[in-house]
Amino acid sequence: MTQGTQQATAWIYKGLWKILVDLFNVPREAPTAPPGAGQVHALKPDLAFLRYLKFKFWLALAVIDVLIIGLWLAVLIADPMIGLAIAPLAWGIAIIPDILAYVALHLRWDTTWYIITDRSVRIRRGVWLIRESTVTFENVQNVEVRQGPLQRHYGIANVHVQTAGGGSVGPQGTPTSGHHGLLEGVGNAQALRELVLARAQRSRSAGLGDERLHVAPPVGAAALGPAHLAVLRQIRDLL
Amino acid sequence: MLQRSEPGAEEVNMSEHTPRDPRTIERPDPVLMKYYLIGSLLTGPAFPFVIIPLYFRYKTLRYRFDDEGVWMAWGLIFRREINLSYRRIQDIHVTRGILQRWMGIATVSIQTAAGSATPEMSIEGILDPDTLRDFLYARMRGARLDDAPSAAPEGDTPSGDETLQLLEQIRDRVAGLADRVRALEEARR
Repeated sequence: MTQGTQQATAWIYKGLWKILVDLFNVPREAPTAPPGAGQVHALKPDLAFLRYLKFKFWLALAVIDVLIIGLWLAVLIADPMIGLAIAPLAWGIAIIPDILAYVALHLRWDTTWYIITDRSVRIRRGVWLIRESTVTFENVQNVEVRQGPLQRHYGIANVHVQTAGGGSVGPQGTPTSGHHGLLEGVGNAQALRELVLARAQRSRSAGLGDERLHVAPPVGAAALGPAHLAVLRQIRDLL
Repeated sequence: MLQRSEPGAEEVNMSEHTPRDPRTIERPDPVLMKYYLIGSLLTGPAFPFVIIPLYFRYKTLRYRFDDEGVWMAWGLIFRREINLSYRRIQDIHVTRGILQRWMGIATVSIQTAAGSATPEMSIEGILDPDTLRDFLYARMRGARLDDAPSAAPEGDTPSGDETLQLLEQIRDRVAGLADRVRALEEARR
């Protein structure tokens, strides 16, 4: 019985994805890595992130639906005729948003991608509005790992990659501007932080304008070859 | 039948999405006006107030992608121009809504390290935004010399040869000078 329903939901979900891909041009596959990227890590949020979202979903559902059904029961007791008349409406309001929200959770997990290359991190998320940001490691100022108690229970954390430049700050202390990349719900946050920091430190500039640092040396070194040295020695001997 | 028609359809798609060199872009694609029109129709009663500024924005919007950076200008009464060099770009955001995906366009927002929270430049109405994104990515901060092999070695070898030539000329002059000094010394004896 449960297997049958599982299969049915899987089929429905597959059909939904087909509609999204065919009609709404939602990309199913991972975003392409930039050309000449070298070593590429394609990551998704941890599966525990999906469980974490579902837990929050059930919690919110319990609170909201108890409220709606409680109100409806109150009306039903006060006036059974009106109560029966608005029954479909009340139950519809209680159940339909739940189904939509539950599907949206899965879609959110499915459409979130983190691509880490040797010089940038590319993050893509969204179903209706697809946002893809490419943040270069060259200007990374700090890497922050945030974990709440519930997230700790599920073994996930959020990794914020912050680049230079200011911006406003949202309610939970998360920057709302584009000067950061958020890698949400990753299972191996420490390893990821080390990876990003290592890539950021590979760049020898301090993070703002001094890129000439690693442009100048190869040019100067290449300019003086053995042929030049030989000629310089000849000049010395002539004097 | 089905199998035969599929490759044909793909070819049509391919020819529609031929990568365009971003340096040739000067104006947004006309599809942007259609996007503005539909977007402002969705606002309902506010339609006339929304569409008029957008129409003038579309009409006056100009782009220029040169070797050093991007230039963008728009506005009829209040003009605005933005100059931005590629080497200062630190984040590139590509945002696509449903309408934009249907029309094959996207908003490519560029951010530098300036303090504003909103992107410094939003490039709208470009067909094939992925090519533009990769074009910018190849030139933005952190792009190393070995990422652009065409530029670096060509720049190196002529300058190296020039140094060598210069040194050789100096050597020859010094040699000539030494000969003359030697001849003068012999003449004095």
